[in-house]
Amino acid sequence: MGSQLSLHTETLRQVVTSDPICLDPLAPVREAFERMKEQRRGAVLICREGRLVGIFTERDALALMADAVDLSVPIERVMTPDPVALSEHDTVGAAITRMAQGGYRRLPIVDAEGRPVGFVKVGSILHFLVDHFPATVYNLPPAPHHATEAREGA
Amino acid sequence: MTCPWCGADNLDGVDDCVACGQSLSDAHLSDPATAVERGLLADHVRVLDPQDPVVVAADTPVRDVLRAMIDGGTGCVVVADANRPVGVFTEYDALMNFDTDAPALGGRPVSDFMTAPAETLEPDAKVAFAVQRMAVGGYRHIPVVGAGGELAGIISVRDILRYLTDRMGEGREPGS
Repeated sequence: MGSQLSLHTETLRQVVTSDPICLDPLAPVREAFERMKEQRRGAVLICREGRLVGIFTERDALALMADAVDLSVPIERVMTPDPVALSEHDTVGAAITRMAQGGYRRLPIVDAEGRPVGFVKVGSILHFLVDHFPATVYNLPPAPHHATEAREGA
Repeated sequence: MTCPWCGADNLDGVDDCVACGQSLSDAHLSDPATAVERGLLADHVRVLDPQDPVVVAADTPVRDVLRAMIDGGTGCVVVADANRPVGVFTEYDALMNFDTDAPALGGRPVSDFMTAPAETLEPDAKVAFAVQRMAVGGYRHIPVVGAGGELAGIISVRDILRYLTDRMGEGREPGS
């Protein structure tokens, strides 16, 4: 590969997923569960007048399922308010750092007015790294110099 | 020659590094590898310090598994039989299978909902390989097994993020 892996200069624009699910703060938790399952998403954003005010993830859902919580309560009662969010102009490296610090696996991306435009997901960052190396890297045995030891009858 | 990507020793004249597969013939044309690149190709899964997973048996009721995940502070359990991983069950599996039906389905065994067979890694696998397995499979956790297939730990995407953060920090040090 001719180019360096430039985590400090590549921006999030190329790894952002678009079209996030946005719910009203008063929507019942049940609606979040149903939309996440239907659309196979791990999180929904909660928006008031178009601005991001909270996030609800599968981790939050797990806790509610384990406790058999009433799912008719408004989502604003169980969401994480004022989540960490980044801009499309932030770097891939910045997203990695924030995710590592906070234990996040996805971060909402907002525009200059605080309107959500999508997510950067940890899986997208892994794909970004994988695409950087030639496919041969991934076809090699884990420890090439030991590869013949297990061969029987040789 | 020494591979500029991962540091492995290679016979002179080979086209590709025996350890990491990067082209050696083009190496003089490429920019020097960054600390992250070198690390991903040279380091092994064991440097991620695989943690002890939460382990359950295949017949464990899924409601008990959810509780074990909450109590263990993890989004993933390894379902094992005689200390060999047979499947993995994650919070994403929980959401996709139960959503609003969690109370009704809680008595079913976790084996009904787990992802099986479990993808596994050996401690000798390169970190780049672990990243690729996670990316392609959409996994956020992969059990680590010993040579005999016995469960030896688990790595998560969080370990990968921490690893990348450490390596990025090294890359910014003067003179590196």
